[in-house]
Amino acid sequence: MHKVNLTINNKNFPINLNGNETLMEVLRNQLGLTGTKTACEESECGTCTVQINGKAVLACITMACDLEGDNILTIEGVADEDQLHPVQQAYLDYGAVQCGFCIPGMIMSTKALLEKNPAPSQEEIEYALDGNICRCAGYPKIFDAVKKAGQVMQKGWQKVNETENISREKLSSINQGLTYEEYVKISAVANPEAQK
Amino acid sequence: MSISINSSDTKINIDPVGKSVPRIDGRGIVTGQTKYVFDVSFPNMLVGKMIRSEHPHARILSIDTSKAEKLPGVRAVITAKDTHNIKYGSNEYFFPHTVDQMAIESEKVRYIGDEIGAVAAIDEETALEALKLIDVKYEVLPSVTDVLEAMKPGAPQIHEAMNNIGVILPVNFGNPERAFKESFHVREDKFYASAAAMAALEPHVCIGQWETFTNKITLWSSSQAPFKCRESLAKTMKMDLNDVRVIKLAVGGGFGGKLEMLPMDFAACLLSKKAGGLPVKICYNREEEFSFSRRKHGMHYTIKSGVTKDGVLTAITGEVIADGGAYCSYGPTVMAAAIMRIFMVYKIQHFRISGYRIYTNTPISGAMRGFGGVQSGFAIESHMDLLAKDLGLDPIEFRLRNITTPNMITVNKMHLTTNGLKECIEKASEAAEWKKKRSNPKYFKQGVWKRGVGIGIAADVMGSKMYKSHESAGAIVKIEEDGSVYLFTGAADTGQGSNTALSQIAAQALGVKYERIKCKSGDTEITPFDTGSFASRVTFISGNAALRAGKDAKMQILEVVAEEHKINISELDIVAEKVILTKDNTTLMTFDAALNLCYSFNYGKQIIGRGSYNPKTTPIDFRTGEGNVSGSYGFEAQIAEVEVNVETGEVKILKMWDAHDIGKAINPQSVEAQIEGSLAMGIGYTFYEDLQFRNGRVVNPNFANYRLPRSIGIPEMESIMVETNDPEGPFGAKGMGEASLLPTSAAIANAIEDAIGIRIKELPITAKKIIKAIKEKEISEEKRV
Repeated sequence: MHKVNLTINNKNFPINLNGNETLMEVLRNQLGLTGTKTACEESECGTCTVQINGKAVLACITMACDLEGDNILTIEGVADEDQLHPVQQAYLDYGAVQCGFCIPGMIMSTKALLEKNPAPSQEEIEYALDGNICRCAGYPKIFDAVKKAGQVMQKGWQKVNETENISREKLSSINQGLTYEEYVKISAVANPEAQK
Repeated sequence: MSISINSSDTKINIDPVGKSVPRIDGRGIVTGQTKYVFDVSFPNMLVGKMIRSEHPHARILSIDTSKAEKLPGVRAVITAKDTHNIKYGSNEYFFPHTVDQMAIESEKVRYIGDEIGAVAAIDEETALEALKLIDVKYEVLPSVTDVLEAMKPGAPQIHEAMNNIGVILPVNFGNPERAFKESFHVREDKFYASAAAMAALEPHVCIGQWETFTNKITLWSSSQAPFKCRESLAKTMKMDLNDVRVIKLAVGGGFGGKLEMLPMDFAACLLSKKAGGLPVKICYNREEEFSFSRRKHGMHYTIKSGVTKDGVLTAITGEVIADGGAYCSYGPTVMAAAIMRIFMVYKIQHFRISGYRIYTNTPISGAMRGFGGVQSGFAIESHMDLLAKDLGLDPIEFRLRNITTPNMITVNKMHLTTNGLKECIEKASEAAEWKKKRSNPKYFKQGVWKRGVGIGIAADVMGSKMYKSHESAGAIVKIEEDGSVYLFTGAADTGQGSNTALSQIAAQALGVKYERIKCKSGDTEITPFDTGSFASRVTFISGNAALRAGKDAKMQILEVVAEEHKINISELDIVAEKVILTKDNTTLMTFDAALNLCYSFNYGKQIIGRGSYNPKTTPIDFRTGEGNVSGSYGFEAQIAEVEVNVETGEVKILKMWDAHDIGKAINPQSVEAQIEGSLAMGIGYTFYEDLQFRNGRVVNPNFANYRLPRSIGIPEMESIMVETNDPEGPFGAKGMGEASLLPTSAAIANAIEDAIGIRIKELPITAKKIIKAIKEKEISEEKRV
């Protein structure tokens, strides 16, 4: 039994581990973060996808004890208070949600893709989401949602580049496609006082 | 049909029917806040595990649980001696003899995985450790796992049934033999459609709690039919219906697999009782889900048809042999659907197909999306193409000469009222540019990749009286003082979006915006009765209940307004959030003002609307197949365009078109999603979904070896909605959850034949089978030369 500090959704969680727990077990069983689902527990379905330092990672085969200092993001940390992330909003708008069990993982994979490549081709989308099974098979609507979310996130980026004197509120509504480092960098431009 | 996207800015949906409003539970799902039973835990909750048979067929001699009971951390162990040994089944009303499964088997096990007990412990490790300490002595019996072997005289007897025939279903009309004699041409084909898994992503999971002092059971279960589950649980526990409460939360997919109580539901409750009332959670892992839940029947389908010189069907005969597995489950209705769906599609007077559902020592076959119609759809629609080919007719032309028409009564007395089948075929064919592409040697036939197009058509019921004499759905619309509206429905949304559609219907009936509605569904203690989510019935039947409840609530409000304003109630209506005078459509007051009046000092009248609907049908006579099973019927036509590599046998689907008579799209986006999901599921079943067994054991019980459709390989899809506005449906709507899946395999197989002249009659269609068929064809052609 040893103590580990995990950073999940920008919050610090000191937890006790035996050492053999997967991140999925810690999230669901110890922390009650049940938004992350699993349908196979053997890395085949993608349902447990989370982001670690921006990358899409399967929580069911990632050992929790190795993650001290890493930036873990789960579906619960994607929206900004009551403002949905563009990926979440697009999934909702384009009817990509059916039973919803695959959706948290699907959204995390989508977000990781779009943060690297906000205008992916159809092939790139298919390749990035191939590890995520949707048994309701809502793939066509998911593809539409991914494309739309990418556009929204891209527009956000451009606006950020164009405008330096951007308000904090506005920033928070468009920043959601950024990595944490980029967010900090832009925050410094937008609101220098807050950084002091 | 292109759908305008409901942008997130549009928060108000007045007149919501026909609009793609966002899912009522959507924000919860995309943020991970929606709770599935999978996510729920309670303080002091125990973990339950089933004790399962290791043998496909054996007599239980003794079970010693004493060592397991002594293991620290074990709180309860149950075996058959703790139960009432009552059998339950799924088709009690029409087929009482098929009630053949015990929640916990006492004497005999009939497949690998058959439940003979269960343990509950403080954690999963302890529960698994306890399973190892259970000592079961068996007398192993000879087993039979192949369906054709099981039918032979002298095969091991699995139940009391002669030749292991669990269900026999003869459907018989006219005189096919005489009609064959008078036919211009007769042909017979044999097909095989494989077993498949529902594979819902949320596994079967339940939490049972038995409050021992008040003698009250609560079961949280991932269920498609909570009321059916309650009925089976009450029966096997010898309890009153209202002593048992079944609660469904969000359900992570069902596809037919969650229509029945499983032994785990029973065990969780009984373990809880033995553990002094602590809640017990049992959750299948993926291997258990594939091996011990339910599966699609593998089916051998023989069909023989006669036609006139003009291509009109004269008679059809055939035989269906289905691998039922160890128990009957929904077998009888699956057989009925596999045989009798054809009457909704083709005009036929002389008919005889007999269905045999055979017991084998393999996992239980149940009701998977399509209820046998997917297997029969593959056989029948492939066969129809072969008939057309024999006659030198275009497959579409052949079908148009034989399909059913609006307002007709079929030979088995089904009343087809609105029927958009012809329009579906025409629209799909137009969209796919059929005439340009079909059998056109100039159309992409050069090189190793050859293109072709194929069609399949289908029809479906919306509802079926399967386990009760009635099939009613109920709904309650409760309006609060602040104007918020609660819809209570017994229907179980398993992800298809029925809570959204029903809320749209209730809002429209009441005359208010969709955003006022909150929906509570599938809790047997709170919501009205509903038989469940199956047979594409929810929009049609539960929708009609929601419609009636909304209208009832509206009338209650209008009664108050009429009294206050001394107006005859017939001159009032509520439309788009306003109370209007019907004679000139002028606004009398807003909906909120009318509601304030209801809840005012003088009136103080609570608005609670109620609705109940039971479709007008006639019972099926299962000795002949006669009866009007559904209140309305849905139709559809599907075209696939494929490209086949003649060297590797690889098949690419370029595009699929699906035209569907859905009556009226309550939510076009959800309709499209259902169609697209069906097509993808159909593609998976056609090419790779195949649950395989060796000596009764599932050999591919995981996603690595049982492949599901993934994002790569999903073709472009075009859905065309044909709206026939059914007078019986809520706002004209029909059900549509299953029909799109029925002809997919045949449409693809037919397209492959158009491309390369090869006919595959066994699912799944693998590259190996295609290459083998190409070689065989080459050899036979060489011989002819």
